[in-house]
Amino acid sequence: MKIIDIAFKDLTRSTRNMFLIGMTLAAPLLITGLMYFAFGSMTSGDVSMTAIKVGVVNADVMPADSPLEVPLGGNIRSMFFDDSVKSWITANDYADEAAVRAAVDAQEIGVAVIIPKTFTEEYLAGKMDTAITILQDPTLTIGPTVVRDMVTSLLDGVAGSGITYKIVNERMEANGQALGPTGISVLFERYSKWYTDFQRAMFHTPEKAALVVTSPAAGGESSDSTQNMMGLVMVGQLIFFSFFTGAYAMMSILEESEEGTLARMFTTPTNRTTILAGKFLAVFLTVILQGVVLMIAGRFIFNINWGEPDSVALGLFGQMFAAVGLGVLLVSFIKTSKQAGPVFGGGLTMLGMISGLFTTNIQLPDAFNAMGNFTPQGWVLKAWRLSLAGQPAIEMLVPFIVLVVMGIVMFAFGAMMFRKRFA
Amino acid sequence: MRIIDLALKDLSQIFRDKRSLLFLVAMPIIFTLFMGFAYKGGGDDAISDNRIPLGWVNNDPDGLLSGQLFEMLSNSDSIRIVELTSGAMEAAVRKGEVAGALIVPVGYSEQVSAGRAADAQLTLVADLNSAQGQSLFQSLRTPVTQLMSSMEIARLSAETVGKPNDASELNETFASASQAWTEADSASLIKVEMAVAEDEGQWYGDNPYNQASPGILVQFAIFGLVTSGQILVQERKTRTLQRMMSTSMRAWEIVAGHILAMFVVVFMQEALLVIFGQFVLGVNYAREPLGTLFISIALGLWIASMGLLIGVLVKEDSQVILFALMAMFLFSAMGGTWFPLEATGGAFAAIGKMMPSAWAMSGYQNILIRGLGLESAWMPALVLLAYALGFFALAVWRFRKMAV
Repeated sequence: MKIIDIAFKDLTRSTRNMFLIGMTLAAPLLITGLMYFAFGSMTSGDVSMTAIKVGVVNADVMPADSPLEVPLGGNIRSMFFDDSVKSWITANDYADEAAVRAAVDAQEIGVAVIIPKTFTEEYLAGKMDTAITILQDPTLTIGPTVVRDMVTSLLDGVAGSGITYKIVNERMEANGQALGPTGISVLFERYSKWYTDFQRAMFHTPEKAALVVTSPAAGGESSDSTQNMMGLVMVGQLIFFSFFTGAYAMMSILEESEEGTLARMFTTPTNRTTILAGKFLAVFLTVILQGVVLMIAGRFIFNINWGEPDSVALGLFGQMFAAVGLGVLLVSFIKTSKQAGPVFGGGLTMLGMISGLFTTNIQLPDAFNAMGNFTPQGWVLKAWRLSLAGQPAIEMLVPFIVLVVMGIVMFAFGAMMFRKRFA
Repeated sequence: MRIIDLALKDLSQIFRDKRSLLFLVAMPIIFTLFMGFAYKGGGDDAISDNRIPLGWVNNDPDGLLSGQLFEMLSNSDSIRIVELTSGAMEAAVRKGEVAGALIVPVGYSEQVSAGRAADAQLTLVADLNSAQGQSLFQSLRTPVTQLMSSMEIARLSAETVGKPNDASELNETFASASQAWTEADSASLIKVEMAVAEDEGQWYGDNPYNQASPGILVQFAIFGLVTSGQILVQERKTRTLQRMMSTSMRAWEIVAGHILAMFVVVFMQEALLVIFGQFVLGVNYAREPLGTLFISIALGLWIASMGLLIGVLVKEDSQVILFALMAMFLFSAMGGTWFPLEATGGAFAAIGKMMPSAWAMSGYQNILIRGLGLESAWMPALVLLAYALGFFALAVWRFRKMAV
């Protein structure tokens, strides 16, 4: 009963501590929210991404006796001014190369497309040495890639028409036939229509495209990429701050020691093991409470599917064992509460970093990922990744057992240090 | 003189605490290396196969198109094929053994050859929000387009020569069209050029640390306020501040002394990280030393002003950590120090670009990546100074209220 009383007193103290509330609940939700604000709307299909500012210099002219209705440069230019791309591309014409280069230098636009005067003529003549220049702000990557893909796609369409003509002509000759001007025109028209429809499906009606994309299902229900990303971001924050909570909640021992209340408690008939057990229980409960609150918040705010209930339970308890164990161990080395900031801030941030908590959505080299095998946070992340991927509890047994063992070892060592200190 | 004395007192307090070095020097250096490593993705390892693993689930094993697609993907520079069964595919994707899986449906070749492509779609199982998932999708678009184009050309040709139902004619033409696609090279008709204000040979803008180094510099300069902010709190808690206020030292001198110390700490940290970036990571800060200096000074003043504000706002040591962490997360994430703002949503980027941290990043990037000169540093430095003034005014206002 005394253990519960002490734990309850510590829990009450924790809930009154605005700093602890801030670090346990506000900070992880704030960071996850920032990521959601930054990337969420883009991936949920709402094209509110940063508009790509494109400058176009189209000097291309129609060569004499061209079979085309419009020079290729005209088609490329039109692509950037099309109504269908207006929500995410802002295009402007520039008079010449110097003007558009100046605009990129002044960061008025991010990408410039410069089409030379003889592009169509050279292309139709089969000369491949007259290129379209894509000039880009070197700090950008996404916008220029999109622009390059668009131009390549259009040129592929043109190349496809050329291949169509070549192949059909060859087959006609092989079959003792000849392709007349009307036949060529019909052929180009049919291929162009097919290619336009194909590309339109790829970009505008992906469910009808030749290549459809589906997200891996999580927890038995379908998920979208935003949920997957937010799940991983939130898991990183959940783990990082739960370890912080485990350590900070243990600080009550040091604070009480500095305030003298611990010494007064030791003079009461309550034995020291009971006092320490009560304090440890409070930390266990705080970490569990934090995990549950954050997971519920993640579910309702960011629509995160944490996985199967039994897998989630294993993840949460594994995280608790490891966080409390490490917290007890860290605090057992600290002599005053003033030392806690650097030790917690520095130590836990470093461990979080090498465990990959801040890079959950980045593919890192295998050698780097292997470092997570040596940290409790790395194993917690492994467990949560499995749970988020909808894996059954049986798949989580290995990380769970590792976490329990790690937690017990760290806890036992820390508790031994405390017993020595307060003996 | 008294201002300098006070600043020296603060500095001596900060540097006496050896743990300060952890925040001010060791952690930012380790983080810079880490982030650079992450951006680089281990790409310089010539021995390892860095192609993205793609699970290949072929339910059309003897098909003409599936065979051709397999050949095209096997020769890809960006994709590494991992053959899987349908049953093993889901687990492989979930466990991250492959970045995604491409499923070829039953009867795919027959359906597409018969002009019923809508009934036989290839399915890519991948998380499009992950970098690898997105790369897979982009890498698959061209081969799938060429595959479908080859079949469309074959069908058009067979119809034109009057043999629409002749399988051998269709197969032969499909093979010819596929071969023609391998020879067509639209990419060679596009020349990508970086808008840099110096010779390409002198340009170091593709160094992955160009984002990580200034990003971490800005981030840890903010987080480093923990050490200096705590001094103000300690002065208040121990009543040293109140005793100082009862001396002939004026309030503005006390504020100036503290902010000077904070500025010196931040500036020294910046200088160390700039030197580390220059000589160890090859980040060319020195190509425009004055520009780097002006931006670093302006950044230091803004952060010191913010540190002063935090110092007068909070009551406990622990609150300094919370406020410094919050400031770090907010300004770092929104200012584009963790990831380029280009990659974020429109509203986020628009707000982010107004952040002082974004102006600092822009100033450094003008020098490091865009290869611009001293003139490109003025605007970011002026904006940072304006922010510094704003935060300083707020801190002084709060300090006066506190003193009254």
